[in-house]
Amino acid sequence: MKKTVSIIVMAVLMMVSIVALSRTAQADEGKMVGTISKLEMSADKKTATVVLKDSKSGEDVTIIITDDLTLDKFNDKRIVEGDEIRCKFEKEGGKNSSKMFKKTAGC
Amino acid sequence: MIKKIAVLTLLASTAAVIGTFAAEHPGKEYILKNGYQGPKTCEVCHPGKAREFIGTVHWTHASKVDNVDGVKPNEVYGMRNRNYTMCNGNDIVNNLKEIPANDKGKTKFSGCNSCHPGDHASDVGSSGPAAEAAIDCLLCHSVKYDFSKRKPIKLKDGSVIIGQDRSVVAATNLGRPSNKTCMTCHEAAGGGVLIKRGFAMTASADVHAAKKMVCIDCHVVKNHKMPTGFDPNNWAHDGLRVSCAGQCHTEKPHKDAAIDNHTSKIACQTCHIPKTGGATAKDFTKWTKLDNGFYEPSTLKKEVNETTPAYAWYNLTVANRPEFIGPKGSRNDGKSKIYPFKVFQGKAFFNKKNGELLSMDFAQPSANGNTLAGVASATKILGIKDYEPVPGWQTIYFGSNHQVAPKKNTLSCTSCHAPNGVLNFKGLGYSDAEISKLTNPEIYFQRLLEKQEEW
Ligand code: HEC
Ligand code: HEC
Ligand code: HEC
Ligand code: HEC
Ligand code: HEC
Ligand code: HEC
Repeated sequence: MKKTVSIIVMAVLMMVSIVALSRTAQADEGKMVGTISKLEMSADKKTATVVLKDSKSGEDVTIIITDDLTLDKFNDKRIVEGDEIRCKFEKEGGKNSSKMFKKTAGC
Repeated sequence: MIKKIAVLTLLASTAAVIGTFAAEHPGKEYILKNGYQGPKTCEVCHPGKAREFIGTVHWTHASKVDNVDGVKPNEVYGMRNRNYTMCNGNDIVNNLKEIPANDKGKTKFSGCNSCHPGDHASDVGSSGPAAEAAIDCLLCHSVKYDFSKRKPIKLKDGSVIIGQDRSVVAATNLGRPSNKTCMTCHEAAGGGVLIKRGFAMTASADVHAAKKMVCIDCHVVKNHKMPTGFDPNNWAHDGLRVSCAGQCHTEKPHKDAAIDNHTSKIACQTCHIPKTGGATAKDFTKWTKLDNGFYEPSTLKKEVNETTPAYAWYNLTVANRPEFIGPKGSRNDGKSKIYPFKVFQGKAFFNKKNGELLSMDFAQPSANGNTLAGVASATKILGIKDYEPVPGWQTIYFGSNHQVAPKKNTLSCTSCHAPNGVLNFKGLGYSDAEISKLTNPEIYFQRLLEKQEEW
């Protein structure tokens, strides 16, 4: 009895870890420099959807932003359409969620 | 206990006024009725504030300096005129302008003096009525400032000015300057977000920020003078200083004498700020081409909290040589303490004729990567005729004074006293005999044993 349980536990653990591992392998990371062509805040102001035009390929990439610091910068227009952004993102559930979203400009 | 209550009350009252005034700003009605015409509107009730402001470092970007080697006592120094390899230029050489077109036909505005609360027509260090009228009071005082208006604009005559939000909405929504007010400029210094100093005032990075403290809770501003410390690379100052021990903490703040015994030799920051971030090295002689067709100085960057500082004795006077800007001091001068520094190394062109670091106008290299054209332009602006550019490196020690870590990340006895500790005792001037004592478990064994939980 004890043995079966532990075998089942082992099997479950292995499955979980395999799933977890393949998840991390899948979680694609992207990096790009692009210009904001569209910026939309959700009604509750907790997420923003931004379209970045990739400076290299010219392709549009849609990014989801949820961190407060960046959302706040959209709010007082520190970051607006037309600004150039350096962005790191992760593909999660078919969406690109932002891990870093910074203006390229500085002084 | 009483002290703790006092601190809590202070924090609570601070928290209450963050973002807005405790009460509505008394000038609101007046501005709603009469509109906002810039500083002169504020001066109706706050006379003298504009003139006061243009006397501070935030307007002049320079002051007299007396703790740095090789500076002249009657001249002023700061971002206005200094040259070092974090920026390789200054407000004069890199005056805000539209740069030449790149190979995609695109241009952009670039300049150090964009970090200035004037309109560029009245620039860094200007004075007189026009300068006083040009101050962007609302940049720091409004909580409804529209930052999309604060950008360079080219006028018909070709001159470049910086726009401001002078709307009634902005002028009737005043509030206490917050972290993001100050970070408007301090965040993007050095050529991008968190490049230069690489510190974030966020709850996860700093215990004070976690308690909702803001920049001006520590940098207590008096008549627009902002206190600073002794970062070897922050020369310009308003004559006021801030430090950990003083207005907020004492020199012996711990309940534990074993820790307090260190504070005469070791700065508070050394134990409490174990990590920093930002750029660690840049190459100004070879720029990197970006996908957008522009170039930027090749830069090695680190995230906030990714860099381990270097530790050195510092007596608050500064060595200033072409290849090195950093702390002076020694174990034996009776004035120095061990401080943490963020070490930065920059490669740029030096003048072979006199060994001095040459500066660079960014307009040309930003557009086409031609760094020597940038040097040529800078030398022309500065009237330097006799020069021969040769590449070389400069090392700079930046102070590491923010991002006070949570207690669990504070350096502990073994961080320093274990044989592989963070301090290089030999480099710091300790003898072999002293080192074997300082790295002997005798120093901490009993104490850690008592604190060690059963396992
Ligand atoms: C009609 C008069 C009036 C005008 C105009 C006015 N203020 Fe005030 N303001 C006051 C009064 C009264 C107070 C409260 C008393 C004080 O601290 O001086 C105050 C307080 C302040 C404070 C807070 C002082 C503190 O210690 O907390 C700031 C900051 C401030 N004003 C900035 C401005 C700015 C910036 C403008 C221009 C946009 C402006 N004021 C325009 C009357 C005015
Ligand atoms: C408009 C841009 C801008 C804003 C906004 C700004 N700073 Fe600065 N600050 C600068 C620049 C540029 C320097 C460097 C001056 C130099 O070294 O020549 C500086 C220097 C300093 C210094 C060191 C010199 C000194 O004056 O003591 C301190 C401290 C400082 N800032 C704190 C603050 C705080 C706190 C705030 C928010 C209330 C703030 N700054 C807002 C641009 C800005
Ligand atoms: C670089 C940012 C900055 C700019 C620009 C600026 N201020 Fe301030 N000002 C501050 C800070 C920070 C304080 C201190 C606030 C505090 O301690 O709550 C302050 C305080 C004040 C106060 C209240 C305290 C006092 O000294 O009486 C007034 C009034 C004021 N400013 C008016 C102005 C006016 C008018 C202008 C434009 C001419 C202006 N400020 C421009 C940052 C700025
Ligand atoms: C917990 C207190 C505290 C807070 C909050 C704080 N500072 Fe400081 N800051 C200091 C101290 C202390 C020094 C000087 C330390 C020294 O040199 O001994 C300093 C130094 C500086 C300097 C000089 C350069 C350097 O890094 O040493 C600048 C610029 C500066 N602070 C800007 C800011 C800005 C901008 C904010 C808000 C985003 C801020 N500070 C928040 C305590 C604080
Ligand atoms: C040798 C390392 C070291 C130095 C130097 C040092 N500290 Fe500490 N400090 C610590 C440690 C470790 C703790 C955490 C103690 C604990 O867990 O009880 C601490 C705790 C604190 C606390 C929190 C106390 C509490 O009960 O929450 C404050 C405040 C503090 N230090 C301020 C300072 C100041 C100010 C200085 C400079 C005068 C300083 N420290 C210098 C190691 C140091
Ligand atoms: C930041 C590094 C650092 C940390 C953390 C630190 N020490 Fe030290 N400690 C030193 C240095 C450096 C000296 C020598 C100071 C001097 O030159 O007088 C020293 C000296 C001592 C001495 C005196 C040694 C002697 O005989 O001269 C004792 C005892 C000591 N530390 C114990 C501790 C204990 C216990 C802790 C943990 C609570 C601790 N230290 C944490 C750096 C550190």
